[in-house]
Amino acid sequence: MSARVVIADDDADIRGLVTIAARKAGLDVLASVSDGDAALEAIRDRLPDLAILDVAMPGLTGVEICRIVRADVTLASVRILLVSASADEASVRAGLESGAADYLSKPFSPRDLTARLSAQFPEGSE
Amino acid sequence: MKSFYSRVMSYLVVDHPSPALKQLPLVVAFVIALVILAVVPEVTVTNIGLVITGVAVLVGATILAASLSFSAKYERWSILVPIIDFVAIGLFRAGTGSSVSVFGAMVILPVIWVAGEKGRGYVVLAAIGSFIAVMLPFVFGVSPLETGSDVARGIFAPIVYLFAAAIINELTRQSRVQVDSINALAQEKEKMLQRTFEYASQLEESEVRYRATDRLLRSVWGAVTVQSVIGTDTTGLIDAWNQGASRMLGLTPDQTQGKRYVLDFHLQEELEQRARELNYPPGETVLNPGFSALVENARLGEVESRDWTYVSTDGTQIPVSLTVTRRVDEDGEIVGYLFVATDVTKEREVSRLKDEFVGLISHELRTPLSSILGYLELMKDDEEHPLSEEQEQFLAVAERNAHRLLRLVGDLLFTAQVESGKFPLDLKDVELDQIVAATVESARPVATAAGITMVEEILADGLVTVGDPLRLGQVCDNLISNAIKFTPRGGTVTVSLSKSDSDAVITVRDTGMGIAASELDQLFSRFFRATTATRNAVPGVGLGLTISKAIVTAHHGELGVRSEEGVGTQFSVTLPLTGAGVSAGATTVTRARPSASPPPSVWYPSI
Repeated sequence: MSARVVIADDDADIRGLVTIAARKAGLDVLASVSDGDAALEAIRDRLPDLAILDVAMPGLTGVEICRIVRADVTLASVRILLVSASADEASVRAGLESGAADYLSKPFSPRDLTARLSAQFPEGSE
Repeated sequence: MKSFYSRVMSYLVVDHPSPALKQLPLVVAFVIALVILAVVPEVTVTNIGLVITGVAVLVGATILAASLSFSAKYERWSILVPIIDFVAIGLFRAGTGSSVSVFGAMVILPVIWVAGEKGRGYVVLAAIGSFIAVMLPFVFGVSPLETGSDVARGIFAPIVYLFAAAIINELTRQSRVQVDSINALAQEKEKMLQRTFEYASQLEESEVRYRATDRLLRSVWGAVTVQSVIGTDTTGLIDAWNQGASRMLGLTPDQTQGKRYVLDFHLQEELEQRARELNYPPGETVLNPGFSALVENARLGEVESRDWTYVSTDGTQIPVSLTVTRRVDEDGEIVGYLFVATDVTKEREVSRLKDEFVGLISHELRTPLSSILGYLELMKDDEEHPLSEEQEQFLAVAERNAHRLLRLVGDLLFTAQVESGKFPLDLKDVELDQIVAATVESARPVATAAGITMVEEILADGLVTVGDPLRLGQVCDNLISNAIKFTPRGGTVTVSLSKSDSDAVITVRDTGMGIAASELDQLFSRFFRATTATRNAVPGVGLGLTISKAIVTAHHGELGVRSEEGVGTQFSVTLPLTGAGVSAGATTVTRARPSASPPPSVWYPSI
């Protein structure tokens, strides 16, 4: 059974890019949403293995969702990957401190993302 | 009228009578003599010819005296008048009975005149004159010189007149001396009066100037309504409080002057922080560390502007840019301080908005670029639909330009952060030889492709500074890639690392086209491009050196340049080594203090 992922980004093109990369890594894309509130709802409803969240989104930000998820024991199994346009180390640290498993800066290489996801979720491991 | 009066007076003035005035008594005496001759039968004319001649000579002498009175030029000739008078008296006496004449006494008048002149010689002249007057009857043979009494009279009378003349001469000399000294005193008095007038007018001028200055000061003081200006004595007790201070801090001059201390309007924590920065030894001579910290640089005679926070009476905190200067008396002794503060609330707000804007732009530009680059990569990686070689080339161009845009966005973002006075630095101990080696290695392929020799010279080992390795690497990258861009094929780019005192020096030297001396000053300005760059169509937007300079400055280092057109350019980065510049003092307080575990990130308030 392949790992399941929820993707959230207000930019449809980036969502498409992440979706393709995730699928290439063999992940099952459960939902692809455009705002923070919908993302949190999808995480709660679908309980994915991974959530790939944009940091700057309408509604809840990726970092805020990350904090909420980490504070909720029922969601402990959900890993979070943050994607952000700010590349400075302060925002990276803020992201990781909020409980994200990984952090990705825009622009990112879909090839690298696929490789990273494949490494984290080897096919059939879940 | 007045001039006529003074003119008349000038003839009559006693201390300097005119010849006419001196002649007047004798004329009157002659008139009386003629009247006596006419009315007294016992007094008779013995020789009418001599009497008439005598009167005629007197009239002549009087005319001469009168004419000399009108001309000061011929005044020295006025002595002729009494001499002629002697002759006139002699003739008149000869014509009225000679030795028995009753008019011999008139001789005294010209004797007085002559004797009164300045000089002893006139005493003798008076005696000779009187002798002539007495002896003239005998000269004209009116009465023969027969008796011994005539001879005795001719000798005795002149001798008596000689004595009289001597006495008169001496008296007039004495009075002349007195008059001279009185005149000298009068002149002295005149001078003193003159001087007093001068002093008075100078005093008046000074007062006018003082009043003008006072008015100017008052109008300037009144005109400053936005900035807060507070004056204090050396203890910080307020003695001047302008309108701006009233507006900013909510109190009137009456409520503060002589009653409140300037420290009352400062944020206590800031003062304590500054006192700690200045390393005041605890319990030392500094009575009030907060106030001393506030005026530290001003006390040393420097003009210091620094950001502080004012606290108004209602507790509102106002960020201000405060300039503190000292007030000195005429001996240069400090008598107090002046605090001029500008409210920077708006500037802070603008700066915050700018930061927000920069963040937004950064996000909005990076997101579409992410899509472009991501989808280009997907296209290249699509194994099901492989691209033709030509399509690959086209995509490579698109990709290269997207990367170029991305770098530009990064540079702009960084420049904006520099401008707003803060950009993140991830400080740690940095081994500079590693930075240099890494950047040289990464530049080597580009240099080789451009036909340029890269030379690396590590002249000192183990140089460590506290800094952001990524940013310092960026500086080296910028300088090396510039050197490669501006050096023609066949040239050399030398990167060296050396030690100079307590600094590390990284130099990047090329054998390129160089920069005109007139442009060196502007080299670090934003978007500036040297004419050698534009002329030779070297790509770039003119941000690299601005950014490099900002990074080096934020590391408390210096970025210098030396260049000669057609010969080459050398950039030098000087960075303080770990352990250097830690000493306390006013000049080093803003330096980063290297410590055992440096904070992972520092936001510099200003660079």
